[in-house]
Amino acid sequence: MRITEHPILKFEKGPLVEFEHDGRKLKGHEGESIAAALHAAGVRVLRHSIKLDRPRGFFCAIGRCSSCLMTVDGVPNVMTCVTALSAGMRIETQTGKGIIPDVHFPTPPTDPDYPRDLGNVPLAIVGAGPAGLSAAIAAGQLGVRSVVIDENPVPGGQLIKQTHMFFGSKEHHARVRGIDIGAILVKEIEDLPVDCLTGTTVLGLYPGRMLALLRNGRLHRLTADSVILATGASENMLAFPNSDLPGVYGAGAVQTLMNVDGVAPGKRVLMIGAGNIGLIVSYQLLQAGVEVAAVVEGLPEFGGYHVHAAKIRRAGVPIMTSHTVLRALGTDRVEGAVISKIDGDWRPIEGTEVELDVDTICLAVGLTPNCELASQFGCDEAYVAELGGRVAIHDASLETTVPGVHIAGDASGIEEASTAMLEGRLAGLSAAAKFLHDREMGELTRLRSEAEEGLRALRAGPFGKHARAGKRKMLALASARGGDS
Amino acid sequence: MKSRAECVIIGGGVVGTAIAYYLAKAGMTDCVLVEADYLSSGATGRCGGGIRQQWSTEANTQLAIESVREFSSLSEELDADIEFLQGGYLVLAYTDEDVAQFERNVALQQGLGLDVAILTPDEITDRVVPQLNTDGVRMATYCPSDASANPFLTTRAYADAARRLGVEVELFTPVTRVLTKRGRVTGVETSRGTIRAPLVVNVTGSHSVPIAKTAGVDLPITPYRRQILVTEPLERFFDPMIISFSLGVYFRQVRHGSVIGGFGDPDEPAGFNQTSSLEFLTTMSAKLAFLMPRLRSVKIVRQWGGMYDLTPDAQPILGETDGVDGFFQANGFSGHGFMIAPKVAMLVAQVVAGQKPDLDISRLNARRFTEGPVTTDRSVV
Ligand SMILES: Cc1cc2nc3c(=O)[nH]c(=O)nc-3n(C[C@H](O)[C@H](O)[C@H](O)COP(=O)(O)OP(=O)(O)OC[C@H]3O[C@@H](n4cnc5c(N)ncnc54)[C@H](O)[C@@H]3O)c2cc1C
Ligand SMILES: Cc1cc2nc3c(=O)[nH]c(=O)nc-3n(C[C@H](O)[C@H](O)[C@H](O)COP(=O)(O)OP(=O)(O)OC[C@H]3O[C@@H](n4cnc5c(N)ncnc54)[C@H](O)[C@@H]3O)c2cc1C
Repeated sequence: MRITEHPILKFEKGPLVEFEHDGRKLKGHEGESIAAALHAAGVRVLRHSIKLDRPRGFFCAIGRCSSCLMTVDGVPNVMTCVTALSAGMRIETQTGKGIIPDVHFPTPPTDPDYPRDLGNVPLAIVGAGPAGLSAAIAAGQLGVRSVVIDENPVPGGQLIKQTHMFFGSKEHHARVRGIDIGAILVKEIEDLPVDCLTGTTVLGLYPGRMLALLRNGRLHRLTADSVILATGASENMLAFPNSDLPGVYGAGAVQTLMNVDGVAPGKRVLMIGAGNIGLIVSYQLLQAGVEVAAVVEGLPEFGGYHVHAAKIRRAGVPIMTSHTVLRALGTDRVEGAVISKIDGDWRPIEGTEVELDVDTICLAVGLTPNCELASQFGCDEAYVAELGGRVAIHDASLETTVPGVHIAGDASGIEEASTAMLEGRLAGLSAAAKFLHDREMGELTRLRSEAEEGLRALRAGPFGKHARAGKRKMLALASARGGDS
Repeated sequence: MKSRAECVIIGGGVVGTAIAYYLAKAGMTDCVLVEADYLSSGATGRCGGGIRQQWSTEANTQLAIESVREFSSLSEELDADIEFLQGGYLVLAYTDEDVAQFERNVALQQGLGLDVAILTPDEITDRVVPQLNTDGVRMATYCPSDASANPFLTTRAYADAARRLGVEVELFTPVTRVLTKRGRVTGVETSRGTIRAPLVVNVTGSHSVPIAKTAGVDLPITPYRRQILVTEPLERFFDPMIISFSLGVYFRQVRHGSVIGGFGDPDEPAGFNQTSSLEFLTTMSAKLAFLMPRLRSVKIVRQWGGMYDLTPDAQPILGETDGVDGFFQANGFSGHGFMIAPKVAMLVAQVVAGQKPDLDISRLNARRFTEGPVTTDRSVV
């Protein structure tokens, strides 16, 4: 189901083209993700799982979880949530592991320039979300050249799907919509010495701060004097019977589908989690014309801001605290859900089960920092629950235990876009330090303390409790390892 | 942790855990295995899992044949599936030198009763691997009873079986010193205290040199990095390990469906280094795409590095150490310690327990390096 009317968004889509799905002719927009085109055409089962042959749809919609693998033009295991649709594609539901077709693969001419060498840059930034873009701006304003690399076709990270007005303080774009903040940041880098490589995935970090990039299906390499990892986070899954059915989606995936692709995830949604993300996405669903049956929250109090809660309550959506989802119903796709009240130990209370008639279950149960690149590069890591999981150990200037490698934003601990921007700024300034003259150090110090002060202010108050505790632990870990903080 | 034992085995790779198991099976259950990290954290967990019987000397071929015999009943004996699979080894010849060597090898191997044959390039694609690009291939030797197994599962199976017989396995416990007194071993010092023991076996792969050094023993072992990669899983479409000594590559499809393969860079400098390089990724994928063009559309999901513990003749060092009674070596496996682990471990256990081994391994004592020049088996990657 395509969203035809939306109070905020206008969807600019590519031309309508024909493609084939399991032998059937379907239509979709060129350039949108294959998964979105299929979803719009009512297709929810994309593959069958390897071991138990269970039906699978997509889950994360950002190329992280591998739930959406299909066979495209004969090539198995294609991530259809991040692969663009083009005219005439042959898309097949994949069953089991991939089979490579029995066709003759010609030997391509040998390429002397393989991998393609992009040379050396002072600063390479992985991720063009609010953290990465802010890092590039901060370094760029001091005259330090950088390359920002992001796997998505457009920069902005998670901001490109956030249609709501942001919370936080005025000077950090509060009351501006996420999508517009993204646009502001992208505009700012235009006049700075910043190259933005979109549609480019950083596959690995190798000794000598060498980055391996995949761009247009080809391997490239780039070395950098400093690296900032601003790779964001991935959504958490929740284990309950049938939680793998097509129709159980992450909140970010639902946002991507409806706010980027203009496709409604379903007709009636059960939202799990009443933190800010759960509340906001519920409101966005209502805006897109989708019904929200309920928001359930395991804790006795919900964690999100009351303004967001008030908005959806006014629309008649119940927020049910001390409740959880027991199981999803359905065989090939979600056809319902059973929820129940839980006691203080999260045990379901018998007799309180309620069956809900929904076709989508949306999980807004937290994020986990993306730490793969840091880990691969040998940065020491630690599990800090308050920061959302394993995080590269970093000092006050956001430098990891590998000199010259910094980390910022959700990748350094789950917070918000506003803190991500300031952390990005701080990491950009810290990474820029080694390229500056002595006479510029005074200014640098001033800018750094400004950013640090801003972060302190954002983390003050009850909503910053976790971040404060997490960052305190992090600093202790860093100084235990002889960091300079 | 025990403070006294009859025997301490240092190293929780496939060989160390297997020695512990065979010692306990032979009745010596008062053993402690001490591992610095987790089981299989060394070369074992990083290896290709290939099990080959095609060697160029009689002694090595025999040892390998005996090991395959052990491997084939190991899942049953240890009561755990180790993913043993007899998919064969296809060894490709590209040069005159390869051809001459392989003809000699096959004559020797057939003489020992091995089911090995020479195949023409057409026979390779008709009978064994239709998907192989045979450009430049002169011939191949093919032994269908060559095999593979999962190194993690094998090591865990040995460790669990040893534990069931009473062996204690101490993980995350590095040995810091081998203790000796008047030419006899007396135990080991670890990060968690001392264990007194009259028998100590050093099975620490490329770490064996510094360990032996603490007892004043010099081992002629040089560490070299070897890199390896693995693809996404696919439905199984070929069985054998495919290998070429002149190209320096080997690859196979594991039971789960991933293709795993490595390449030995002849320019790799000596030294301990387990990092990955981009150069390996590109070189190896080009080689794979050349040898099996259909792999071109397959995604590589991971690459890693591991250590070879290379001796001057590429043969392991096995047996008691001259000058330090009770101190045994089982190291220097030179990149093929997994495939011979069952038999070698059994023989070492027999020697440690003071029994007569059922194959003579005295030719593999470290002593050989002081007695004159050694000869190398040419069948190494
Ligand atoms: C529904 C929802 C509502 C929210 N509302 C608010 C709000 O109102 N106010 C607020 O302050 N915050 C809000 N947030 C949080 C905010 O969006 C995030 O904290 C912020 O986007 C984090 O920024 P980041 O730059 O660290 O990561 P991201 O925005 O996630 O950007 C990381 C980027 O890196 C890319 N990347 C990762 N790995 C690689 C790689 N190997 N190669 C190439 N590219 C890579 C990713 O694709 C991504 O584009 C909300 C989040 C959600 C999901
Ligand atoms: C990339 C690669 C591919 C390979 N492919 C194959 C193949 O296909 N077939 C094959 O047969 N062989 C192969 N090999 C070789 C094979 O992996 C090794 O020969 C074999 O695993 C050796 O086992 P091990 O138990 O002797 O050593 P390891 O597995 O290295 O075990 C030694 C253990 O000792 C521990 N240790 C070190 N220091 C201490 C200390 N101070 N105190 C306590 N413990 C310590 C280590 O942590 C380690 O776990 C390959 C090797 C590599 C690197």
